[in-house]
Amino acid sequence: MARPPRYCNATPCSSTRCIYLLVLLIGSLLSNHAIANPNEATWKADFEAHVLPLMKTHCLDCHRKDNAEGEFDIQQYADANTALKHIDSWERVVKRISLGEMPPEGNEPLQPDQKAKVQAWFDSRPKPNLCDELASEETQKWYRGTVMSRRLTRSEYRFAVEDLVGKVLPESISLPSDGSGGEGFDTNGDSLFLSPIHLEGYLRGADWAIQQLLAPDNSTEFVLANETSLDRDAANGIVERFARRAWRRPIAEDELERLMVLYDATLARAQDNSGSKQDHAAFQQAVAQPLKATLLSPNFLFVVERESDQGGVQRLTPHELAMRLALFIWSSIPDAELAALADSGENLDDVIVKAQVARMLSDPRASRLGENFGLQWLGLTDLQRKVQPDRELFPDFDPALVADMRQEAITFVSDIFQHDRRLLDLIDGDHVIVNPRLAAHYQLSQPDDSFPSSTDKTDASWQRLKVEDGRRGGVITLGAVLASTSHARRTSPVLRGQWILSEVLGSAVPPPPPNVPALEGVADDGKPRSLREQLEVHRDNPACASCHSRMDPLGFGLENFDTVGRWRTADGEFPIDASGQLPSGQTFSGPSELKKLIAQRDNDFRKHFVKKLLGFALGRSLNKFDDCVVTECLEQLKLHNDHAACLIETICLSHPFQHRFFKPPQPSE
Amino acid sequence: MTHQPIPTPDTPDRRRFLKGMGVSLALPWMHSALAPSARAAVDAAGGNAPIRSAFLYFPNGVWEKAWVPETQGPDYELTPSLQPIAPVRDDVLVLTGLDKKHSHGGDGHYAKTANFLTGMPVTKTTSKDISSGGISVDQMIAKHQAGQTPIPSLELATEPVVSGIDSNVGYTRLYGSYISWETPNRPVAKEMSPRIVYDRLFGHASKTSHEESESYTNLLDYVLEDAKRVRGRLGRDDQFKMDEYLDAVRAVERRIEHAAHHGGRDWEPSVDPVEIARRRPGVPNDFREHIDVMLDLMVLAFQTDSTRVASFMFANDVSGRNFSFLDGVAGGHHEMSHHENKEAKISQYQQITHWHVQQFARLLEKMKGIREGESTLLDNSMILFGSSISDGNRHDPDNLPILVGGRAGGKFNSGRHIAYKDVPLCNLYHSMLNASGIDVESFGDSTGPLTELS
Repeated sequence: MARPPRYCNATPCSSTRCIYLLVLLIGSLLSNHAIANPNEATWKADFEAHVLPLMKTHCLDCHRKDNAEGEFDIQQYADANTALKHIDSWERVVKRISLGEMPPEGNEPLQPDQKAKVQAWFDSRPKPNLCDELASEETQKWYRGTVMSRRLTRSEYRFAVEDLVGKVLPESISLPSDGSGGEGFDTNGDSLFLSPIHLEGYLRGADWAIQQLLAPDNSTEFVLANETSLDRDAANGIVERFARRAWRRPIAEDELERLMVLYDATLARAQDNSGSKQDHAAFQQAVAQPLKATLLSPNFLFVVERESDQGGVQRLTPHELAMRLALFIWSSIPDAELAALADSGENLDDVIVKAQVARMLSDPRASRLGENFGLQWLGLTDLQRKVQPDRELFPDFDPALVADMRQEAITFVSDIFQHDRRLLDLIDGDHVIVNPRLAAHYQLSQPDDSFPSSTDKTDASWQRLKVEDGRRGGVITLGAVLASTSHARRTSPVLRGQWILSEVLGSAVPPPPPNVPALEGVADDGKPRSLREQLEVHRDNPACASCHSRMDPLGFGLENFDTVGRWRTADGEFPIDASGQLPSGQTFSGPSELKKLIAQRDNDFRKHFVKKLLGFALGRSLNKFDDCVVTECLEQLKLHNDHAACLIETICLSHPFQHRFFKPPQPSE
Repeated sequence: MTHQPIPTPDTPDRRRFLKGMGVSLALPWMHSALAPSARAAVDAAGGNAPIRSAFLYFPNGVWEKAWVPETQGPDYELTPSLQPIAPVRDDVLVLTGLDKKHSHGGDGHYAKTANFLTGMPVTKTTSKDISSGGISVDQMIAKHQAGQTPIPSLELATEPVVSGIDSNVGYTRLYGSYISWETPNRPVAKEMSPRIVYDRLFGHASKTSHEESESYTNLLDYVLEDAKRVRGRLGRDDQFKMDEYLDAVRAVERRIEHAAHHGGRDWEPSVDPVEIARRRPGVPNDFREHIDVMLDLMVLAFQTDSTRVASFMFANDVSGRNFSFLDGVAGGHHEMSHHENKEAKISQYQQITHWHVQQFARLLEKMKGIREGESTLLDNSMILFGSSISDGNRHDPDNLPILVGGRAGGKFNSGRHIAYKDVPLCNLYHSMLNASGIDVESFGDSTGPLTELS
């Protein structure tokens, strides 16, 4: 599966950054006055003469005053300047109009030429070129979505310890779970807290880790099995090697000395106890102490990015950049090669970063992109708790399948990057990655030899299988997604549709209004109705229709999948009708056609995905200046036939990834 | 409540203390309940027993018509949802009509849960400036009682923090997962593992070495120094994150010191160490067992005076936990709470509420069975049980379902239903603070204590 390790062949300096550097060089010579747009006057006149009257005619009934639907009040917009100030709101409005979602069913629709007029008006809006302004004083705000000197997340801690000692941290060394913030990820510093029980967990973790490290069978580079000289020099060497890796930087002499004080104290006591000077047990006990301290120190537990005295925008040091690369791609700390690179004193320029990204993506640790970024993006972090099909209705459901589904989701997402596939494979990919148990669950027809060692049903061997009929493939039809968007006893086309809108297309779905009317399972005439028929009531009520006409049809397209993700053609007595019509008027039938339609909104998907990935990488909320990176990512994707690894590279080369903003420091106490 | 001064980290006395004490183990603290010196003094002086307080949260509200009793006073009739408290009704205060006015805006859940115990406005954010508006009442009590027990407070749960943000309403979902807030900006992490809670309280009884304890102290001293150095190099915005770390290290140090310092307590519990060893929990099979064992550990912690404050979340807000193990229930909690005024859903919703009240009643019965001199553990406690919304379909933060078990050492006159109207929930917290011996001008949005409780 080896590919040439080269993803984007763009110039080493990508266009956004070139502009940035240029502007930086010229510095204050350039004024940051925007050049007056000659079309701005036309645009404004257009708004007042055409767009506003049109909106007033068609939309004012619902979008007025305090209780305006969707917090969009047309009366607020007396002139074009106000519209320009709230152009983000108008972006949403225009998108929903063009998708046919607004005005909702039951109202007088906009004619195609009217829609086109609104769209053309929006497209010709004055666009401040933020990317060109990056170097101005004002735009230091860019970094005020500050990346914090945060602690490691729980997953990062586990992976870092695993990479240091070569063994997986057992479940019993449990640490408290983390919440999320920013763009919805645990890497967001603002939402990471630290309580005493964290520290108690770190104590347990350090105890366990150092035990592994000093075990006779340990194969890491830190402790040499044939260490024969049990003296202070040997201890010194072990502690320095270990601390250097764990702390991601060279260890200063006084730091090492402080660590060795722990060694000395413990050794003296141990020798007192054993009465011997050459005691292996005493040496081990003594060297364990500074090693534990290394893992308890904030130098290990925190992502510390130190600042210069003057503050301001500052390029990360090579060691800090190496750490960000490792956190992003491996959810862990830099390995020996990255560490050596950073130590070499060389600037980590674009060529080096690219080579490292390629190397890191080809390393098995890159699967953590799926486990950490992927599961959080797809909302599958707590799958075991979410997927609890009713035992009465699903007596045969094997709970081990939930773990398989989780693994499938992880592997499918990380594989996109690790093997540099098309990003759009996440939507309409023609393959699945399954183990024998899942393959059976999904009733996949498979060549007999696809699982070489599949005699054992629980075998963990995972295979990539091609799917010819388009039913499976892509994230939307992952078992984990289908099952976690179902209720215990039935599927939920609403939840599935909402999931597609918010996680795949990045489209907001407001919560239902209070006192929503009931879904009746039985009609007035006493005849039972199918779930689909029950949901049709959403169409009859305009208050429901505006959202449900977007969600429900998407969900109907997946009705061939039952609560636990199996294929079905009937739901009880009712045959499945998997056809649907989107607000745009487009129709489809079944998951394969549905995915094709969603793939037509590929730009929405790509943009949403890139924002998620960038938010995960930066560990903060994005702001409008980050759109420069988003745009750059989308351009690179286009240039490279949608190959996904390009995104990782572009983000790692981007300005916000390699810089940070510091407020001037406070004098320390 | 005086006690001997604890040697500060730098005095040589401290080392001597630690050396002399035989603390544990794999974890560096051990509760006095297992130490011979404590057992010698166990002759329960029930009269001095301290007041324990617990705050139990359950998600998704209740069906009010089956909750609120029609009449007030001691002779109120138990409503269907309150039936389970029948055996302990004389020990329970049923409080209705309490309101959380700072939760009327915001959204249906997140802006109502994070401030369940603070009563103050929750900041609408997915990222910066996360805030519950104030310190929570449990943490306030814990702070005032610091140093009197090995652990200042226990924060227990059976579900991990909900990940993700709700971009539709503009809140981070972690707001629905925390009720204990050490400061407005710092939620207290919850412990989910029964085994770890047990080990925190009682350590491993197997091996004992004062050297291990000393080695932990050395380690903590070392990292404290490290943290101070790192902090000095950080920007202003980042320093407060390092402060959390510093506080956590100091908290663990204090626990080790406390273990070294048996002498000056004004009250010693009476617990059989064999009984404690017997109750070391395993891994629970399902959430019912999990809840059971967590509440049991809470009782054990109170009984041994390992802590006097606890909070417990039956589940996170919006929990969709499946309750189909109850006869006639076929679905998740949150789904049923959106009953849409449908009979079928309401009855299932009620059953789920009924189950939660049952767990509360069992807890009280257990505590009532534990004698402390002339009184019982329950007599010396105040156990709040409630939700942060009233009706699950409407999400209203008024007329909250609130029960208080126990007599707070005789300060509460239990066994009654008191109906309030638009009175701040924080007035109850104000009363509970007072009952804990803490004088405050006000707490949260309180306008004074609930004088009717005594």
